[in-house]
Amino acid sequence: MKLALELNGRPTELECEPDEMLLEVLRREGLGSVRATCGIGVCGACTVLVDGEPLSGCLTLAPKVEGREVTTVEGLAGADPVQRAFIEAHGFQCGWCTPGFVLTAKALLAENPQPSEAEIAEAFGGNLCRCGSYVKIVDAVRRAAGEPAGAR
Amino acid sequence: MGGGTAVEWLAPSSLEEALALRAERGGDTTVVAGGSFLAILMNQGFVAPTSLLSLGKVQELRGIDVVDGELRLGAMVSHRAVERDPVIRRDWPVLSRAFGLVASPRVRNQATVGGVLADADYASDPPAVLCAVNARAVLRSPRGVRQVAIDELILGFYETCIAEDELLTEVRVPAALGPAVYRKFRSRSSEDRPCVAVAAARSAGRLRVVVGACAEVPQHYPDVCAEGADGPIDDAVAREIGAVYAKRMAPLSDSRGSAEYRRRVVAVEVRRAVEMVGADGAGNGAGREGAGGEE
Ligand SMILES: Cc1cc2nc3c(=O)[nH]c(=O)nc-3n(C[C@H](O)[C@H](O)[C@H](O)COP(=O)(O)OP(=O)(O)OC[C@H]3O[C@@H](n4cnc5c(N)ncnc54)[C@H](O)[C@@H]3O)c2cc1C
Ligand code: FES
Ligand code: FES
Repeated sequence: MKLALELNGRPTELECEPDEMLLEVLRREGLGSVRATCGIGVCGACTVLVDGEPLSGCLTLAPKVEGREVTTVEGLAGADPVQRAFIEAHGFQCGWCTPGFVLTAKALLAENPQPSEAEIAEAFGGNLCRCGSYVKIVDAVRRAAGEPAGAR
Repeated sequence: MGGGTAVEWLAPSSLEEALALRAERGGDTTVVAGGSFLAILMNQGFVAPTSLLSLGKVQELRGIDVVDGELRLGAMVSHRAVERDPVIRRDWPVLSRAFGLVASPRVRNQATVGGVLADADYASDPPAVLCAVNARAVLRSPRGVRQVAIDELILGFYETCIAEDELLTEVRVPAALGPAVYRKFRSRSSEDRPCVAVAAARSAGRLRVVVGACAEVPQHYPDVCAEGADGPIDDAVAREIGAVYAKRMAPLSDSRGSAEYRRRVVAVEVRRAVEMVGADGAGNGAGREGAGGEE
């Protein structure tokens, strides 16, 4: 079936099966930042923003995003302040989980520009980093929120 | 997935159309709300639906309204919306709290009020709290409308009384007249489903204590709660109610805890929940917010 959506800012029409997950459809489009990992909604490596809110690509039936705005980190083009903060704070090691953390951080900061430590932890409840870079990831969010490094 | 014969995608944009399709297809089509529960079953190869009936475009199912003091939540309202809605936070804080304790924000964006009740997983958070506040589910079909209490809706493991031609369209919650708490005891990680869930509410001289995640369906014992009528509940009574709940229940064992472990947790968590709603007497305070059992 045809699937019309706004993908990374551009009106796009994709082909999908009605029982396919968004994750597979986006990867077929070459958007490799959306990563098949746990397949059960736990890890966050498949996170995409749909109308600005994080959703699991692995659990979202593709036709559900018809007419909606879907954002992956490819759409940020490396120019986003949150992405820059992750680089400056070195908020990753292998980088597998990073797109999911960056998108989740963007949604958090859009709603709450000055999140507390507890609010950052709550927002990242569904994102796992097997390299254990959590401390640096939280630093990156603070940096993106405009706090000087090591402020807290 | 994909491949093979084409799967049908039905995406009605009105409730009338959705009900007609549901009645026409019955069990031959699978209802999709948020799709999170269904997608896990599909990803793991447990189900391979040939027809999907998505409720995503039905605007009538997305309302959060207060009518005559009663809260009406459309079946397609997300957990995240219940958590964040200012009216629910003010007047039914126990619901914002309980829905906000489900999994992670990303799961809560997807999971819906109707989906969590219709999938009837014994280890979900909302059923116990909705049962404690006396919520009813509205079930509709072209045959008519009926309202059922949460303990009439959920019949067993993943089993409800929703007929093959019916949709769960709404959840109705009476005005919160007294304090209510929800305590989620997790045994593994903070995003996990509950090991023991306890919801307690006091309203109009009546105490309701419902334990979730410990048996096929939420457990509550009105005769035991009769002690918590008007006035402050003293600590000895709270302890006694906890002890009787623990003794009477036949908890299940799973990866979140053995039956014996759960029995001990039930005694403590029920006592704490009753203490929390019992301290300020019944009827005053607009539903005090409960701690999540973090300790
Ligand atoms: C990683 C993860 C962690 C989770 N942790 C928790 C947790 O801590 N606590 C908790 O309570 N839950 C938890 N859940 C469960 C989650 O809340 C459920 O997956 C969700 O409630 C299902 O909602 P949905 O709208 O996505 O349902 P769907 O998957 O769309 O539907 C579920 C079932 O109900 C049927 N159905 C849906 N809507 C209707 C309707 N209106 N009328 C009739 N039938 C209908 C569908 O056909 C399907 O069989 C977790 C889920 C995930 C993925
Ligand atoms: S792959 Fe989707 S949450 Fe892990
Ligand atoms: S940086 Fe390797 S998984 Fe997070």
